[in-house]
Amino acid sequence: MIKPIKIGALALAGALALAACSGGEEASDSAAGGEVLIVGTDLPIQGASADASKSTNEVVALVLEQAGGKAGDYSVAIKEYDNSTAAKGAWDDAACAKNAQDHVANTNEVAIMGTYNSGCAKIIIPVANEAGLLMVSHANTYPGLTIEWDAGEPALYYPSGARNYARVIAHDGFQGTAAAQYMYNELGKRTLALLDDTQAYGIGLADAVEAEFTKLGGTVLRSGWDIKAGSINTSTFEKVKGQGADIVYYAGIFDNNGVQLVKDKTAVLGDNTVFPSMAPDGFSGYPTLREMPEAEGLWMTFAGKSLDGIKKGGGAPAAFIDAYIAKYGYEPNSSYAVYGGVAMQVIMKAIAASDGTRAGVLAAVFSGEPICLSAEESVSGMGFCLNQETGDVDTVTMTLQQMTGGVETDIRAIEVK
Amino acid sequence: MTKLQAAHHAVGVNNKKWAIGFSTVVGVIFLLNVFVLPNANTQVQRFFNAWFSLNSLAEIMIWILMALGLNIIVGYAGLLDLGYVAFWALGGYVAGWLMSPFLSQFQVDFFGNPRPGLEQGIHFNVFIVLILGGVFTAIWGIIIGGPTLRLKSDYLALVTLGFGEIIPQFMLNGSDIGGLNITNGAQGIGGLDQPKIFGYTIGTFDLPAKFLMVSLMAGAMIFFSIRLRDGRLGRAWLAIREDELAASMMGVPLWRTKFSSYAIGAVGGGIGGVGFAILIGGVYADRFNFVISIIILAMVVLGGMGNVWGVVVGATVLAWVNAVGLVQVGELINNTFGTKFNFPSYQFLLFGLLLVLMMLFRREGFLPEARMRMVMNEEKLEDVEKVTDDTKIGSH
Repeated sequence: MIKPIKIGALALAGALALAACSGGEEASDSAAGGEVLIVGTDLPIQGASADASKSTNEVVALVLEQAGGKAGDYSVAIKEYDNSTAAKGAWDDAACAKNAQDHVANTNEVAIMGTYNSGCAKIIIPVANEAGLLMVSHANTYPGLTIEWDAGEPALYYPSGARNYARVIAHDGFQGTAAAQYMYNELGKRTLALLDDTQAYGIGLADAVEAEFTKLGGTVLRSGWDIKAGSINTSTFEKVKGQGADIVYYAGIFDNNGVQLVKDKTAVLGDNTVFPSMAPDGFSGYPTLREMPEAEGLWMTFAGKSLDGIKKGGGAPAAFIDAYIAKYGYEPNSSYAVYGGVAMQVIMKAIAASDGTRAGVLAAVFSGEPICLSAEESVSGMGFCLNQETGDVDTVTMTLQQMTGGVETDIRAIEVK
Repeated sequence: MTKLQAAHHAVGVNNKKWAIGFSTVVGVIFLLNVFVLPNANTQVQRFFNAWFSLNSLAEIMIWILMALGLNIIVGYAGLLDLGYVAFWALGGYVAGWLMSPFLSQFQVDFFGNPRPGLEQGIHFNVFIVLILGGVFTAIWGIIIGGPTLRLKSDYLALVTLGFGEIIPQFMLNGSDIGGLNITNGAQGIGGLDQPKIFGYTIGTFDLPAKFLMVSLMAGAMIFFSIRLRDGRLGRAWLAIREDELAASMMGVPLWRTKFSSYAIGAVGGGIGGVGFAILIGGVYADRFNFVISIIILAMVVLGGMGNVWGVVVGATVLAWVNAVGLVQVGELINNTFGTKFNFPSYQFLLFGLLLVLMMLFRREGFLPEARMRMVMNEEKLEDVEKVTDDTKIGSH
């Protein structure tokens, strides 16, 4: 019979021996010797988001490379963390919790770039907060991370009482505001049929649209749409037609019975030339939607600048995309990848303005002069300053798109203050 | 001493050795992380953090808890459960409801530890939450088990699979149940209170204390698993597992005995769910999917169905491989040979291969229970008996 005590002793002895023999970490040691400051990227490297994360890490590396590996007087290196597991094929709460501790334990790490998923950010922010470690996300759009939303938010993410989290992408509230302003001010609509998909994202977005549209003086007719696949929503459209609505907004995700919804709207209210409709980025990137004749003329918003918009904008941002293609041989996977570069730029500015300590880097973002990026220097072509109270950007560029000829065509950028 | 008494004595001594081994390993890991590693050089610290971080080891303890809970259902009573993740979810949400500001319409503090400024919600002491988590999941075990345990084999497995899908989906879509936000849907419940034990608050960075806490939970589960197996109820479970008809003929009440295994097994999931929620500081519906149920089942099967220590070894190995093993071994191989394999992406291939090999060459698991080993090798025994009989006949 195997003796468990012996097994334990052997395992420990083996582990210690391996530790003594391990030389593979030597190169990293020199990087962590006090000379080089570490920025940890925290992304889901496995599963559905793997390509987007790979591209984001490449963009971040290129931003650092173009700066000569330095931020101000400090040499900077990147350490990649994976917050996903193969078993889930997506971000994993346990991996996020472990990464949070590892970020803090790595004493040379002065900032975290990430996360991609807001759920993972909810786990990492409080841990980083207690350690006074800066975190800048390029992709978290859940509003409650920075502003009052659900019960206890955002205070429950900041146990120290001070902020340590910022993001360079607009939260869902901004997108709702932008859509409401466009429908009221530019399309001249006054009675909005506001449908939400009864899910967290859709409800949050609809709340923001309703608040802004009402504030502007419009009337909002709000209801939820039936998200069960194939469910008919014609009665909802009949109702809003009777109430005098002159535009429809779909606050939600196309996956939630979007095909039938768009068809039902056209059947009852007419196509978009007769009765316009608008959707958020939850309807972006769906080939099925693009192929639907009923979707022709649909107004859409994208939180940030689309990749197409960045390239067409020219200047330094477009040159950065060209440099990326030259280095890696393909385009960045998504706009979010480019925003990873923006987050890295913010972190590097903070490091340059700091004394090289965690506290210094954090203070550079949340006190003193606010961190700003001009449209020329930002790799997304979007200029902004970070709000020191919330960590959100003060100016958000939304991209207005319209479905024309089965393509989501950029119309123009909309700035939301 | 009779043969039976001698056999019982041997099992008792064996359990004692394993218990000492488990306690020693936990104690050494705790002391190593409190006294040795903080003073060790960076290289040693990095090695342990990469290969055996306390976070990963604490997570392994949670997996052990889960696997032992499922072992009661599958290993002891022989009921195939493909939806055990549901109990993990239920336990996690009990922690979310009773240890956070989430239910902000209430303001209850019962020996809890709310963070300053976040006193709204319900804040129970961690001990009470652990007990309530176990009770709550046991009740759900009864609710689920009641109508399903009259089914057998494949049918039972399919129904448990259904429940394993329904409950996580409920959690995912439970942000508006008749106007009530019960689970906060996909956003989950964050900001759990830090556990306070006898006046000592286990802080965010107090990893040794967290590890010790979940190790004690796993230790308690090991103790109860062994005691249950050796008791009257445990023997009834084993009898049902071996031969339902024979057990019934011997007076074992089938339905009631199966029912109790389901309810008691669920407790492991509930307590583990509470422990996991405390470890990560929240509960998120994304975690609770079918794959988790299968991984827990694989831990039980690979370790050795019915044998507590086999299941502990199975859970430890698979959880470690899943959390850090594949990544670290992959890095080691890639660094040594200059390759660029993404080892974690081959996880299921390796798991599958391991399962196939185990089924071919060691069906009873790494450390099988003696009775299970005999059952699994029944054909070989029959062959031996046949040869012996033939030999006997031939010899006449």
